[in-house]
Amino acid sequence: MSDVKALAEERTQLLADVMAGRVPKRVPVCPTITYEYAVEYTGNSLFEAFWHMENFEKISDIICRDFYTDLFPMNYLRFPALYKTLGAKNWMQGSNGFMQHPEVVGLLEEEYDEFIESPYDCIMEKVLPRIYANLDTDPVTRSIVLAKAFKIFNDEFGNIGAVTAKLSAKYGLANVNLFSAAPSAPFDFVADQLRGFRNMMLDIRRNPEKVEAAVKAVTPLVIKMGLPAGPPPPNTAVFIPLHMGPFMRTSDFERFYYPTFKEMVETFVKAGLHVLLFVEQDMMRYLDHLNDLPENTIMWFELGDPKLAKEKVGKKHIITGFYPVTMLKTGTVEQCVDKAKEILDILAPGGRYFFNFDKAPLTFDTAKPENLKAVLEYVAQNADY
Amino acid sequence: MLDTDLLTKAVGDLDEDSVIKQLQEFAATNPSPEEAQKAVAACQSGMGIVGELFEQGEYFVGDLIFAGELLTNAVEILKPYLGGATSEKIGTIVLGTVAGDLHDIGKNIFKSMAEAAGFEVHDLGIDQPPGNFVEKVKEVKPEIVGMSGVLTLALESMKLTVDALRDAGLRDSIKVIIGGNPVTKEACEQIGADAFTTNAAEGVKICQGWVK
Repeated sequence: MSDVKALAEERTQLLADVMAGRVPKRVPVCPTITYEYAVEYTGNSLFEAFWHMENFEKISDIICRDFYTDLFPMNYLRFPALYKTLGAKNWMQGSNGFMQHPEVVGLLEEEYDEFIESPYDCIMEKVLPRIYANLDTDPVTRSIVLAKAFKIFNDEFGNIGAVTAKLSAKYGLANVNLFSAAPSAPFDFVADQLRGFRNMMLDIRRNPEKVEAAVKAVTPLVIKMGLPAGPPPPNTAVFIPLHMGPFMRTSDFERFYYPTFKEMVETFVKAGLHVLLFVEQDMMRYLDHLNDLPENTIMWFELGDPKLAKEKVGKKHIITGFYPVTMLKTGTVEQCVDKAKEILDILAPGGRYFFNFDKAPLTFDTAKPENLKAVLEYVAQNADY
Repeated sequence: MLDTDLLTKAVGDLDEDSVIKQLQEFAATNPSPEEAQKAVAACQSGMGIVGELFEQGEYFVGDLIFAGELLTNAVEILKPYLGGATSEKIGTIVLGTVAGDLHDIGKNIFKSMAEAAGFEVHDLGIDQPPGNFVEKVKEVKPEIVGMSGVLTLALESMKLTVDALRDAGLRDSIKVIIGGNPVTKEACEQIGADAFTTNAAEGVKICQGWVK
């Protein structure tokens, strides 16, 4: 067996152990690095790079070569070509070229009943034409726009999948997929894409029954978004980025958010998937709720108290994150490595932990490459449980 | 006759039905501009209570959003009666989301709380290049510049904005506060801001301290 193949097997085993709740030989290092960061690190322009995804391999190869990782690190979210084709209002480039989600309203307050009655029809007929301006046209043009958009979507993800496999083989990276799909929790779906963050916060006070019913109505759809067509390969996780919880009262979270979210996680686990949650912002108030989820849910924490999280969910679940990525911008190499030591001392003992930052470095000016390199090297060489 | 304490309490409790009912009854008495101004002040005091409850961890961001909406609706009801009466302005803030970042929920929360505290706020909007901050500062001569951002890439834009204010010779005449998810003490120092916060209520307090 070639060295690189043996390396890949060893790394796959490390992550498989962690995901099954076993203590592996050492702490796996699984940074997520945005494609935007990679583009600028390699001296390319953000505005051009996303229109030339044929360079994805070349650019990603340099990242895999220069930064230590046990898993293919590229994090790619949104392609301008897809969203421009649709005339999207929910995903746009900032003046720097970075794709992001501005507040949108896809569903009007007076359309709640229609949505609750038939969420799929309402999304197709009302929401999509509102969010995607180029679908707001005659049926023939609309079908062409949608066909083009899906062609782009399939081409881009096909390319990314092929490059992921190729570079993983080249660098001996783990055969593990933590991002097989990325559905939102039902409440977040209604908030982010349908009613908007702001309106949702008003709706839960003014129309609580309708919000509750809409969240329930959309649950089968978002679950379907996360389920694979056939039985999933081993070590496959579906990614759920949690959003609205930290901005709500605990009692509202318990009423509007948690029940359908829990149902969703349980359904994925029953289907043989692992679940990776991005625990956005500070969700320390909800550690008991998180702990109630099926065993070995992977929780990628952004802010909060790592000690408390380890104590409350670290015996049943798997923790990652907590390392403040902004340190890679503001700190020295020594300070950044010290921070890694501090985090590892808290989270590694007893297992159920792998290394990642609290979030991916976004653009090149958000993390000094020498800091990023130093931290990843340090963890790779020094992190035992 | 309006019971201002009751109105303040209803705003603090985020009891929308009660606030609207009290104000509609008050409006039906065709109040004088001075009386209407007292009602506005009572609502603004209620906003202060909301801020305190937020700082104590009783209220969350969703409550601040709702409070902002409540205050806007309250002022709408009172507007026809305000005439020329205006509340005393305690200071001026130029506010914006910095270049590259399209997020504005946090900025808008800060804006409505700062206005309720008596600041005149000039809101530039989202994704604002340094030059727009510089121009607005020259035009309205504020005591304070507030910069907002959600994405970590906002930190670099904040630094470039402070640099631009310095290059234009404006930095020494203003205080700069930065707010949003990615700001930290270290980032604040590197950016060259005077203060940072991830908490809109605390941000307003810092600004109040500067204009005392």
